Amino acid sequence: MRDDELRALTGACAKCGTCRTVCTLYPERKAEISVARGKIALIDASLEGKDTNLDAVQEALADCLLCGRCERACPNQVLVEEIIMKGRADAARGIGIPAWKQVVFGRVMPSPKGREAAVSAAAAAQRLFAREIPSASGLHYRFPEKFGLSGRTVPKLPKKGFIASLKPKEAVSGDVLLFVGCVFDHVFPQVGRASYETMKISGSDIAVFRDAACCGLPAMVSGDRDASLRCAEENIRRLRAAEPEKIVFPCGSCLLMFKRNLFSLIPEKHELRSDAVEVSNRCVDYAGFILGSGVVSRLPDPPEGEKVGEIGYHDPCHLTGTLGKGQEAREVLREAVGSSFAEMKGADLCCGYGGTFNIRDYPTSARIGRNKISAAAEGGAKVVATACSGCILQLRDMAARTDPGMEIVHLAELVAKALSRR
Amino acid sequence: MTENAISALRAIFGERLRTSLEDRICYSYDATGKEFLPDAVAWPLNPEEIRRTVLLANEHLFPVVPRGAGSGFSGGSLPVRGGVVISTERMDRILSIDSENLVAVVEPGVVTERLKEEAKKQGLYYPPDPASLKFCTIGGNLAECAGGMCAVKYGVTRDYVLGLEAVLGTGELVRTGVCTVKGVVGYDLTRMLVGSEGTLGIITKATLKLIPLPETAATLLAFFPSNEKGARAVAGIVQERITPCALELMDRTAVECVRRMADLSLPEGTGCALLIEVDGLEASVAREADRVEEACLRFGAIEVRKAADAAGRDNLWKLRRSISPAVRQVNPVKINEDIVVPRSRLVEMFAFLSDLSERQDLKIVNFGHAGDGNIHVNIMISGKDEDERGRADKAVEAVFRKTVELGGTISGEHGIGIAKAPYMEMEVGPLGVSVMKRLKNCFDPNGILNPGKIFLEESAVRR
Ligand SMILES: Cc1cc2nc3c(=O)[nH]c(=O)nc-3n(C[C@H](O)[C@H](O)[C@H](O)COP(=O)(O)OP(=O)(O)OC[C@H]3O[C@@H](n4cnc5c(N)ncnc54)[C@H](O)[C@@H]3O)c2cc1C
Ligand code: SF4
Ligand code: SF4
Ligand code: SF4
Repeated sequence: MRDDELRALTGACAKCGTCRTVCTLYPERKAEISVARGKIALIDASLEGKDTNLDAVQEALADCLLCGRCERACPNQVLVEEIIMKGRADAARGIGIPAWKQVVFGRVMPSPKGREAAVSAAAAAQRLFAREIPSASGLHYRFPEKFGLSGRTVPKLPKKGFIASLKPKEAVSGDVLLFVGCVFDHVFPQVGRASYETMKISGSDIAVFRDAACCGLPAMVSGDRDASLRCAEENIRRLRAAEPEKIVFPCGSCLLMFKRNLFSLIPEKHELRSDAVEVSNRCVDYAGFILGSGVVSRLPDPPEGEKVGEIGYHDPCHLTGTLGKGQEAREVLREAVGSSFAEMKGADLCCGYGGTFNIRDYPTSARIGRNKISAAAEGGAKVVATACSGCILQLRDMAARTDPGMEIVHLAELVAKALSRR
Repeated sequence: MTENAISALRAIFGERLRTSLEDRICYSYDATGKEFLPDAVAWPLNPEEIRRTVLLANEHLFPVVPRGAGSGFSGGSLPVRGGVVISTERMDRILSIDSENLVAVVEPGVVTERLKEEAKKQGLYYPPDPASLKFCTIGGNLAECAGGMCAVKYGVTRDYVLGLEAVLGTGELVRTGVCTVKGVVGYDLTRMLVGSEGTLGIITKATLKLIPLPETAATLLAFFPSNEKGARAVAGIVQERITPCALELMDRTAVECVRRMADLSLPEGTGCALLIEVDGLEASVAREADRVEEACLRFGAIEVRKAADAAGRDNLWKLRRSISPAVRQVNPVKINEDIVVPRSRLVEMFAFLSDLSERQDLKIVNFGHAGDGNIHVNIMISGKDEDERGRADKAVEAVFRKTVELGGTISGEHGIGIAKAPYMEMEVGPLGVSVMKRLKNCFDPNGILNPGKIFLEESAVRR
């Protein structure tokens, strides 16, 4: 490791230990190496040229959910997420990024076509190898043991994604652009659809960003900044050409990429910097749009009474935590479902997904996720709404395994349901 | 450490012993920012494993360094001579909370706040509340005799320890003290161990005293034009015959560093802020809060704000608790002293400090537990300038001299560790040091436990 920028960032850590109190992983590991302070010390040691083993450092940096809880609690405003992502990139430069990640992020993600192909290949593989398991919340597939994914339930991939299901002339131009994100396009197209249909109620012309590249977050958190940058550049160019007034994100993680991480990829001197700022300023979260554009005022009154507390909201770390957008979703929920909504215990705790962390250490990821589901169930929640693709993947898997009666939905699906009562 | 010693340790701990450089780096620091690599890190789960470790250490002569959360400010948990760090973070069970006898029995790795919360659920109160309470451990608190915001009314960790279980430097497991309120059988070994910074024994269990939870509390934030004015108000409040449960002073720079945490605006001309909390019965708290407010205004407060609800109070506390790490925004290197002077001499001390800061051209940030005369004097330096370093060292010494001259002590709560070892004699004298060394010899004849701490000639680091 040799990054001066990185050194400047880690220098702000006072080694106080505050980050131990909030770390999602610490209760699981009970070791310093799992908290921000330890990881920062490791990066520093590597930067100083100490004889660290780069594999071990990379391993330690990978052992993090990037939930950002440490960063928000840090009294010194140490940019932990940035440090860990940069550290991962530096380590990756030293020892390389696993080949499968390079293929996915380097070639597939920036191009919608390539991604389409990869996703259908995955769906085919699932159909070949997976066997169906019953579940009240929908159909899930369980990968066979030899995949190393023992016990995991994954959503059955639909044959057609949301964008593919649009009619040729549907949602092609408008002042407001919907950035669906690949998960809500390919895996849960119903979320893409619900977002689109509910946004239309605003009266604005809604276009769907059909040729979006991946937002670039998965590549970035894996330390592949080049691939991430390519995604970002593609998106910025296309968005600048389309000139929408607003770009709306149903996925909190995609939004984080545009609101914040973009600027670490595209520094001050980059030729696209001003375009990036321009694009970023126009990006909003789904709930914020629904609130601000008058959709909620057109929602019918929610049915009164009997189901108090049956619907809860899980705060996606990136959306509520890092971007501070937690109240908007709650206000939308109150309008859409009324008293059925109540705060659940530990609403702001990380679901344990953490992008690639879920693949890297599934048992731990699952333990954290199960705790979340149990806390929600204890409080009487039957439906948990949220607004991030990763959280939905995780919570559905966990609910299927521990509390199959619990439904995990995107906020937009509840808004759509409320509208259907009109 | 030798290969043999490591493999003998591995036989005890298995996977719970780590020797990779990466794992050792993560146990090489504490909140002082200094670093010393241990040879190994072990996570015991019970006293027996610790006992066997210390026996091995006596056989192979390697250092054993106990560590809680590594939040210490005097370098107590730094393995200055290498050896094995014994991290208590996995011995974190609350064994019992007895609401009839008002005692709690806990393992050393329990995080202080967790004990406070569990006690609260039963209407009980464990008062010690260092600003690090969300992460520091009971073991670390006992070993440092940590104080906190509420020391002015409720005392410090020492005042809540009834009995201990500890592994001595000989590898013997002793039980000290009682589990009753009274007890006078022989020497007070419990108090010997409290504040001994892990040099006499490794605490494996503690019996702690609880008290009934105060019914309610009110929190005020008062702004003053200067530290001196604030210090006068501290005396004024005490003369009102009110004992607040917190009486914290923060100078202007300290408040500036943490304003963001509490989303706070400062009134014009602020030179210092006092955070005051009163607790007790519903009926008395409101009246006391009013009287505190009046006293503050009488002593020249520019403005007094009251936190109306629990969220507001939390916000004010977050402000105070974040100061310590956040003052590094002033300058990267923090020389952090925690002197105590008699409350009546605070004004004099502040005058001395502002004069010193000017004279030596140093940035000095002051905050702390003014109610008990405990000021955290933080000399903030760039760390790059030799001359500045020299002036800072001189300033530290001057602060200590002045403190002792005013009848104070050079460490109220952070302990000696490696940071204050050079100055200890200044306060306790050569005989004091010599008696302490003789005691150390009884508890730990081979010098296994946390070597290089407290005593000067054994201090591996000098400033
Ligand atoms: C932001 C911040 C605020 C702070 N505020 C305060 C404050 O208000 N008041 C205060 O008093 N301190 C304060 N401190 C200092 C520190 O938190 C305390 O000294 C605390 O008691 C240390 O606890 P720890 O668990 O982190 O112990 P460590 O730092 O790990 O260890 C401290 C000492 O205890 C020894 N030790 C640890 N466990 C055991 C054991 N089981 N048996 C024997 N010895 C053991 C270690 O060897 C070492 O000498 C603050 C620190 C920070 C970072
Ligand atoms: S809370 Fe911030 S300053 Fe403190 S140890 Fe963690 S990262 Fe460092
Ligand atoms: S980002 Fe989350 S998991 Fe990672 S160190 Fe910070 S708090 Fe822990
Ligand atoms: S964050 Fe996830 S859902 Fe969003 S575009 Fe990137 S890969 Fe797709």
